[in-house]
Amino acid sequence: MTSDPNPITVIVDGREERGVVSARKLLVHWLRDTLDERGPKIGCDTGNCGACTVRCDGHLVKSCMVLAVQADSTEVETAAGLAAEDGTLNHLQSCFKRYHALQCGYCTSGMLMTATDFLESGEEVTDQSTRRALKGNICRCTGYENIVRAVRAAAGQDVPLPHGAVPTREGDDL
Amino acid sequence: MLVDTDGAAVLAGGQTLINVLKLNLAAPTALVDIHRLPELRIIKPAEDGALVIGAAATYAQVAADPIVSSAQPSVAAMAAGLVDRQVRNRGTIGGNCCLNDPTNNFPPLLAALDARFRIAGPAGERVLDAADFFTGTMSTALTPDEILIAIEIPPLPGNARIAHRHLQIGADSWAVARAAVRLDIDAGIVTSARLVAGAVQNSPVRLHDIETTLTGRTADASLPLAALEAFDDTRIVTVDDVHCSAAYRKQMCKIQVRRALEEILAQGSRS
Repeated sequence: MTSDPNPITVIVDGREERGVVSARKLLVHWLRDTLDERGPKIGCDTGNCGACTVRCDGHLVKSCMVLAVQADSTEVETAAGLAAEDGTLNHLQSCFKRYHALQCGYCTSGMLMTATDFLESGEEVTDQSTRRALKGNICRCTGYENIVRAVRAAAGQDVPLPHGAVPTREGDDL
Repeated sequence: MLVDTDGAAVLAGGQTLINVLKLNLAAPTALVDIHRLPELRIIKPAEDGALVIGAAATYAQVAADPIVSSAQPSVAAMAAGLVDRQVRNRGTIGGNCCLNDPTNNFPPLLAALDARFRIAGPAGERVLDAADFFTGTMSTALTPDEILIAIEIPPLPGNARIAHRHLQIGADSWAVARAAVRLDIDAGIVTSARLVAGAVQNSPVRLHDIETTLTGRTADASLPLAALEAFDDTRIVTVDDVHCSAAYRKQMCKIQVRRALEEILAQGSRS
């Protein structure tokens, strides 16, 4: 007995999206390949790296570990929905830019989603708790230091800029 | 559907099963997704005072639930420290038990807490204790047409002390060795002991000989030493893997037992 294809309706970054998917389709594949939603990245495809992190009905999840059919009737938030429509970065994104919290950028959208979830959770933001919150997101270039600084700065903490960083104001383009 | 479809599998949090499917290690003919069934996610006290945790309750849900924190703080603490933020939102306590990967966190702790496993199938419901539910490495007593619906943890007596220690590869990651211990201590004497080893073959493994050795003894610094001696005489089957040799794993298991007992001695009685 199979039930392919399955109709689904998902709110993605505020837009209602309807699709027909096979049961085996991963949420990340539907978002990227069908909707052309390039916020979530495919890194490890084993639930380890966190590059595909999105929120599903407010819960932070790795979208390579969720079937698209399981996201039916949910609201999905991706990193593409963080900036304003004209591209203006939000506060957290500006902090990532100011603190040089990315190099190649591949992990960044997952990092931003996890950091968003962490900052909105009301948990105490310390160096330790930030590192722990980001545990499910792997970065292979920054060494994490600047990512942790950016998240703490976004929480309003007075965090020194990394060595060599050019001071910019929030919203400035490089 | 589970009953009518040959080769159907239950999908709950999917944090293991989806990877298993990607690797073609299993090819179920159908997936029965239970993760949104509210009755399987319920957390409540039962009439007899037991804590009932729905099998599809996520780690995040278990970690944040005030009923769990007050009735079984060790369960809440374990859920809060599992894997990572994303997986905690998706992985379920029932899935952790049904998979029964030897390295999994919950089976040894739940065995030490005398947890009962409520199972539903075509013939109705049945309830098993940990010794009957966990049948071996990656296997349980569940038949293909049954599902685990809830885990029931009896209330702790006021004199119960619990500790769980593990050696992990990294923070919140795979365990090389685990030990979950519950001692009931009355007037400085151990009246009842439960010691469970995890991350060894066919875990969770009750260490009955060590339990017998500790029962009736004075709860002082001699206790861990007596346990270590008894441990050396206990047959524990472990395996070599990429992380360590079987001998190292057994030695680490012994150390976790010692540390859990030391932690219990350092705790005041629960009150």
